[in-house]
Amino acid sequence: MNQLSYDLRVIWACARKEIQSALTERFATALGIFLPVNFLILFSLFALSGGLAPTAVVMADSGPLAQQFYQAMAHAHSFRLQTAGAQQAQALLQSGQIVAVVTIPAEFDTSLAAGQPVQVGVQINNLNTDFTNDIRRAVPLSISAFYAQAFPRAVTVTADEHDLLAQDTDYIPYLTVSILVIALMVGGLIQSGTAAAGEWEKATIKELLLSPASRWAITVGKMLGAFLMGLLSTGVVLLVLVLVVGVWPLHWVAVISFTLLTLLIFTAYGTLLGTLLKQRQAFVALALATSLPLFFLSGAFGPISFFSIPLLELIAKIFPVYYAIVLQQYAFHGFNLNTLSVSVNALVLAGYALAVIVLAVIVLRRTTVAN
Amino acid sequence: MHPSTVRVIWAIYRKDLAVWWQNRVSLVASIMPVVGFLVVQAVGAAAVGRNPVALVTLDSGPAGQQMQQIIHTADVFRLTDATPEQAQALLHDLRVAAVITIPADFTQRVLAHDPAPVEVTLNNLNLDFANDIRRAVPDAITQYYAAQGSASPIKVTIRETDLRQRDIQFFQYNVLPLLVLLLVLNGLVTSGIAAAREWESRTVKEMLLAPIPGRGIILGKVLAGFTVTFLLGLLMLLMGAALDWTRPAGVEWLTSLMIIALVSFMATGLGVAVGAAVQHIQPVTGLSINVAFYLFFLAGGIGVLAFQPAWLQAVAVFNPLAYGVHALQMAVFYGSTDQLGRDMLVLSLCSLAALGLGALSLRRGISA
Repeated sequence: MNQLSYDLRVIWACARKEIQSALTERFATALGIFLPVNFLILFSLFALSGGLAPTAVVMADSGPLAQQFYQAMAHAHSFRLQTAGAQQAQALLQSGQIVAVVTIPAEFDTSLAAGQPVQVGVQINNLNTDFTNDIRRAVPLSISAFYAQAFPRAVTVTADEHDLLAQDTDYIPYLTVSILVIALMVGGLIQSGTAAAGEWEKATIKELLLSPASRWAITVGKMLGAFLMGLLSTGVVLLVLVLVVGVWPLHWVAVISFTLLTLLIFTAYGTLLGTLLKQRQAFVALALATSLPLFFLSGAFGPISFFSIPLLELIAKIFPVYYAIVLQQYAFHGFNLNTLSVSVNALVLAGYALAVIVLAVIVLRRTTVAN
Repeated sequence: MHPSTVRVIWAIYRKDLAVWWQNRVSLVASIMPVVGFLVVQAVGAAAVGRNPVALVTLDSGPAGQQMQQIIHTADVFRLTDATPEQAQALLHDLRVAAVITIPADFTQRVLAHDPAPVEVTLNNLNLDFANDIRRAVPDAITQYYAAQGSASPIKVTIRETDLRQRDIQFFQYNVLPLLVLLLVLNGLVTSGIAAAREWESRTVKEMLLAPIPGRGIILGKVLAGFTVTFLLGLLMLLMGAALDWTRPAGVEWLTSLMIIALVSFMATGLGVAVGAAVQHIQPVTGLSINVAFYLFFLAGGIGVLAFQPAWLQAVAVFNPLAYGVHALQMAVFYGSTDQLGRDMLVLSLCSLAALGLGALSLRRGISA
């Protein structure tokens, strides 16, 4: 009992010391708190580019069919349209303000009324195949939609769409939830890892190792301090996500539970890596360098099974980031992104947390002052 | 310039390069995010724009078979032919994003000129995937009608003209923004750490007490940071050329190297300014990485600037990286001098401003 009481005092003392040390280094602490928010903002910027193609439509014909064609384009969920004269459209295209010019020819209405073929001009600034192909496919979509409206009996083959979900989720609300996990990862890692490595850089680890306090109590105390500091940045990130981005969770309790669990894992990871690397600069480099590839690998953009590359899928499943994204997408949007149940995903994550905490304790237990 | 000043510059230059080589962690910090971006994009690029879809063909008639053939050759999906049960299992297990079903009476309906819908069951998790498929199915249907030639009821056809002579693959297109990110990240981190280290290790005292001119110290530091950053950029450009990702032609090599040099100078100047102002390695690293990523994403990141919201395009006007990326893309991919003068002028002025800022910050730090 006495030993337990002593260990608890050690844990609390180490946690308080971590928090006080962090608060004395104000600039680094501020960076640590706002770095996850920065990740949220920056990666959201990354997502903005996936949207609508800015396109000018040159209406050489203003007849009713031409107007209907314009409306079909406007509702194709693919273009950001503006009408323009031919010269104005060319100038906009050349200056890079738009990426395509669609020209509805003067004879559009009369030709179609007479059952004659008519060509719509599509000029594309084909900078890269990704968005160029989007435009190449969006114009046929507009033609199909136009015929469905204007000549419903002429074109009988159509797409009859049934959606699995009642409503579409926009790209930003989807992606920002994935980014929350990356922000938690970076926040947890940086907070705990720099503190752990700092003990070695400042040589204060000697005092800790030579003290009669048990190593597990020291490790847990350090993790607790970093975890409590990490809650600050977590709170800021969640506030930005909910209040600024406007993503309202379906399951609040799940959001908070999975957030705390994820933060715990990466706090433990940070302590482990910081103890192993013993250099803050090396640790920060590693933490930031791994966060980008993990962001792409772990199904941030959609279910990883859609990417059809088994190796990537396998690698992603090794890391807890993948499970954390699956759980947060469930908590925020109610999505199931893999075939495991929510409780199994949560158990996997909890298993990671336990394993990393134990590993961090073992590493510190095996450490000697001579190291 | 006095010979002794040149010797000072040379000594500081060599010293900074040697210290940098001994602290390769900063090199890792600046290279790894870019390498991570590149590797994952290279592997994942094949999946962009072509979603996994299961195709169920229940009609063995000519129209159904023709539609199946066209969906296969349309190159808009990654297709798996499946039975209805297999398709449902694939959809349930998230192996496909949609199931397209050609119904059993498709041919019969087409011949009777009755509505003949192709059923699409879509996992509309997010608009990125969902809209890709919503565009791709009508594309395939349009191709189906186009195959009928003059008998096609669709009289509206497309006459496409491309502004550029060739399409650039999605992955290739992203290499140049990433090259610029590498330059900015490395310039800021390397020079920032080199400057901050002088204060943290207190070697700045020795330099202050030495009978050497301040401008020699500043120039030596800036040149060392520039050398490392420029060489990394050159290495990445050469690697891109060797792998046929980014291969400038003829004189465009010179243009590309000039752009890389200007961005390197700008990043180095900024790095020295940040390092001398903050004077501690740890916050300098964090701050530099943040600044580099903000500059990168606010210049459009790996996207196309015209696709970004108006506010971001307005911000990018004041971001020199947007000019660097544009100039490099024009030179490397299109052999074009489109707005090259404007881009070079902006980059030159920003490089001079950053170098001035770096010199000022270092001078103030030294004299403080």
